[in-house]
This record gives sequence, structure tokens and C-alpha cells, in this order.
Amino acid sequence: MDFNGLSMDQAPPISAPLRFYLVAPVFGIIAGFMILFSSVDMLSSRYSMDSVVITHAITIGFLGFVMLGSLTQMLPVLAGVVIPKVDAISKISFGLLVVGVLTMLLGLMGESTLFNIISLLSLGVGFTLMIGVIVLAILKVKNFNATVKAMSTSLVFASLVVIMGLFLLLTYIDNDFAEYRYVVANIHSVWGIFGFGGILIIGVTFQVLPMFYVAPRFKQFCKKRVVWIISFGLVLWLFLNIYFDAYSYLAKIWIALFFWAFATTVWKKLNLRRRPISDVTVWYWRVSSIFLTLGSFFWVFDDYFDNQYTVLVGLFIGGGFIFAIMVGMLYKIVPFLVWFHLNAMGYMTIPTINEMINKRLAKLQFILLMLSFFGFVITFFYSQFLEISAICFISSMMLLEYNIIAPVLLYMKIKKTKPDFDMSAFATS
Amino acid sequence: MSSIKEFLTADHSRCDELFAVMEDKAMVSLGDAKAACEEFKDATERHFQMEERVMFKEFEEKTGMTEGPTSMMRHEHTQMRNLTKQMCEAIDDNNSDRFFGLTETLMILLQQHNMKEEQMLYPLAQQHLNAESDEVVEMMQSMTVQ
Repeated sequence: MDFNGLSMDQAPPISAPLRFYLVAPVFGIIAGFMILFSSVDMLSSRYSMDSVVITHAITIGFLGFVMLGSLTQMLPVLAGVVIPKVDAISKISFGLLVVGVLTMLLGLMGESTLFNIISLLSLGVGFTLMIGVIVLAILKVKNFNATVKAMSTSLVFASLVVIMGLFLLLTYIDNDFAEYRYVVANIHSVWGIFGFGGILIIGVTFQVLPMFYVAPRFKQFCKKRVVWIISFGLVLWLFLNIYFDAYSYLAKIWIALFFWAFATTVWKKLNLRRRPISDVTVWYWRVSSIFLTLGSFFWVFDDYFDNQYTVLVGLFIGGGFIFAIMVGMLYKIVPFLVWFHLNAMGYMTIPTINEMINKRLAKLQFILLMLSFFGFVITFFYSQFLEISAICFISSMMLLEYNIIAPVLLYMKIKKTKPDFDMSAFATS
Repeated sequence: MSSIKEFLTADHSRCDELFAVMEDKAMVSLGDAKAACEEFKDATERHFQMEERVMFKEFEEKTGMTEGPTSMMRHEHTQMRNLTKQMCEAIDDNNSDRFFGLTETLMILLQQHNMKEEQMLYPLAQQHLNAESDEVVEMMQSMTVQ
């Protein structure tokens, strides 16, 4: 067995996850401004250029970055393996992905072939590098627990989603707008949301709910079977969607039922948690459960309305579920990483993780984000709410950036002082 | 008799329970949590010593690894001892914000530490110490805290 995950000198340097975390809200702000200057008509269609661009500013720029940052940090702790050359690879991959997302936004909006080509190459290499080293690390895992299995499964979906995404970007470069492109786009989005995002969150939840809230552990059935059941549903959906579309709703019901069961389980576990303390992160988990339930069933019923409400489904699941959980987790992970690394370097008299982020500002950020989500839903029916919702979203992202940068600035300030003890034998950065 | 992994995992749960009781009491009145804080401190100290003085020692002797995972776990024990001490001091100072800040920090540190032990170190220890598992558990049970 590999012990590296237990050793501080093998743990990823704090900069590896932080660079992904700190840039994520910037892409949120960019997406917010794009919504602000877009029109409701454009945003109501999932295939309009505005929708595609804004969606990817969020899905790659925010969700993708937070997920990749978390994988670099959590894999050593949860699986006991080291990601090879994590610092160098994460730096290169991070740079490429930032360039890739920005050029994608510019390329698609400005119909620039040059930017689209740069984006295609940057995103292709950036994702391949990052997913590649994570897969190499996972291959070394001996103790395949439920979380590692879920991470591995989600990475399979991630790889396929990236390949499909690159293919779709290529169709903008060579102007190939054949009908099958929409089929690929549909699979790309469904597998991206449920296969990559959804399964990764399920796997991580098995560990973090008991860890952060002392909630009861998940039952073995849930840990051993749910990921396979959902994966089966996603593959079945693919098959039906391509060959027997009239029956694809059956696979959708299958997937929706298990995500709903997961959402309900999370809600119940939170009710039974041994730590009664409620903070903004618990609120995020609660609303995520609600949005996941709503979104899953909206997705099924959307079929009966000729997919008129697909944008709302994306808003509920991508925004209310995945986005909200990630924001909540940033409030836990960033201060803990700062505390953990400082303490490991011998700084004993440092603020606790509760004191690193202003609780009132975190609550305000939550309220603004929720107002923006509800606003976007209302905007779908009453267009006059677009601007105010976008402004709420931009403000919440700015506040999030401020809230998570505060502990990092504290880290940099404390690191310049002399530690209470010389812990150089254990320190990482 | 339970295995090393079962025994120590059950003891983690016992400590978690004491921690939760302490927080429950502190939410009503910080002063009322003093005894619970001491009880939690004693329970975790016992757990740490069962590992450091018995299980880790046996594991290190058997495998020859003294600078590996057990060294890191000892380091995290030191971090947690320090936080627990500060937590009890915060009760003496009647500083509620400080107390809950420390409990939050300790809880995450404790849980990720337990996770590493339960998922990696204990199975490994059980594997290497399987023949003398009962004896190791018995030594941990009968150990007197120093």
C-alpha cells in the first residue's frame, strides 16, 4: 500500500488547489456580465450562441475549476495516492485552461476561427494533462473505497464529455452544422451534468457529510451501488436517445429517481447530524438538495413540453445543485487548507477557520446568489427581471471572491512572520 | 474479540459522540460544557496513547517503518492535543466565538485524520498484526493513560 497520502511532505502544495479556487469566481463574474448584456430571447434557447458561451463560462470556468482543484487536494487524503508532479502539471494545466476558456468565449462570440483553434488546443491539452495525471494516480490506489470509485467513474464521463466538447468546438471551426451535432451536444450536456458533476458530488458527499457535519455515514448499498446504477441509467439513456428516442424518458426517470433518492438522503443525513451548528454551508447543502430534486423531475417532464424548459433544468441542476454545493464547499475547504498548512509549518497561534471568513458576508453572498437563481427562473417567464438577477449574480460572485481570498491573504501575511515552532521537517510550502 | 480496526474505529465514534455532547452543552451555556470538554479531552488522550504507545509501536516494530504514516499521525495528534487544550481554555475564558471556532477547526482536522486512519492505516495494521491482533487490542484496553 502507498502511504503517501498520509504524509504532509507528499501532500499537494496549497497553491495547487487554491489557484483553481481563486479564479473560479472570476469566471462567474464574467458569466454574470455576459448575462447582463444578453437578451432573454437569446438565453431562452439552449443552443443560442449566448447560452452556449455563458454556460461554458460557468461549467468550465467555475464548476470545472473547482472540481479540478478539489481533485488535486482530495485524492491524496481520500485515496492515499500522490498525483505525479502535481504542482508543475496543475500550473501548466491551469494556464492552458484559463487561456482555453477565455479564447473559447471570445472565439464563439466573435466568430473568430483563430481564437477557436487556440481554445481547442488549450482546452484539449489542459484537460488531457490534468485528467491524465489524476487517472495515473488512481491507477495506483489499492484501497478502492466508494469515493474513489465514484471519482474514477466521473473521470470516465469527464473524459468523454471533454472529447465531445472538443468535437463540438471543432464544428464551429469547420462550420459543420449537421443534425448529429445536436445529438452530440445533448449527450455532452447530460453526461457532463449527471455523469461528471453529479457522480463526483455523490462520491465526495459520502466523505464530506460525515467529515464536516458528523452526519451518519451512508449505507453500504448507497456507497456500493448508486454510482453504478446511475452510470447504467446514463448509458441506457444514451442508447435510447440515439435509437429509440420515444423511450428515452424511461432512462430519464431511472436517473432522476436515484438523484432524487440521493437528494433526500442528504437532507435526512443533515437532519440527523451530530453537530447541531448551522452555518451557510449547511444552507447550501439544503438548497442543493431541493434544486436537485426539482431539476431531476423537470428534466423528465421537459420531454412532454418539447424541451421548452431545458434552460430551467440546466439552471436548477447546474446552478441550484452543482454550483451551490461547490460554493458551500469552498467556504469549508479554503479556510481549512490555510489553517492546516500554517499549522503544519509550526504556526500555532493563528485564527481558527471560523474567524477567517466574515460570516455575515458569507450569508449575504448566499442570499444574493439565491436571489439571482430565483430571479433567473422568473426571468424565463417575465423578461424584465434579467438585469436585476444578473446584478445579484455578479455581486454574489464578487463577494465570494472576496470571502475566499481573505483567508489566502491571511495565509500570506502569517507566512511572512516567524513560526512558533520549527516544523520544517513536515512543512510543504 | 474485535479486530484492531474495529476496536479503534469504534473508539473514534465514542470520541465523536463526546464531542457532540460537548457542543450541545456549549450551545446552551458555555460554562456547562466544561466537564464535557474535559471528558472529551481525556477520551481523545486515551485514544492517542493507545495508538502511540501500543498499536503504532507494534506496527513500527513489525514493519520497520518509523518515519512513515505513524510519524504523520503522531504529528496530527500533537495538532489536535493543542487545539483541545485551547478549546478548554476558551471555556475558562468564557469566549464563545473562540470556542466554536476551535471546535469547527478541530472537528474537520479530527474527521480527516480518522478517515486516513480508518481507510488506510488500520487495514494495513490489521494486515501486518493479524496474528497478534487480539493481544494488541487487549494491551490497548488495559493501558493506563500517562
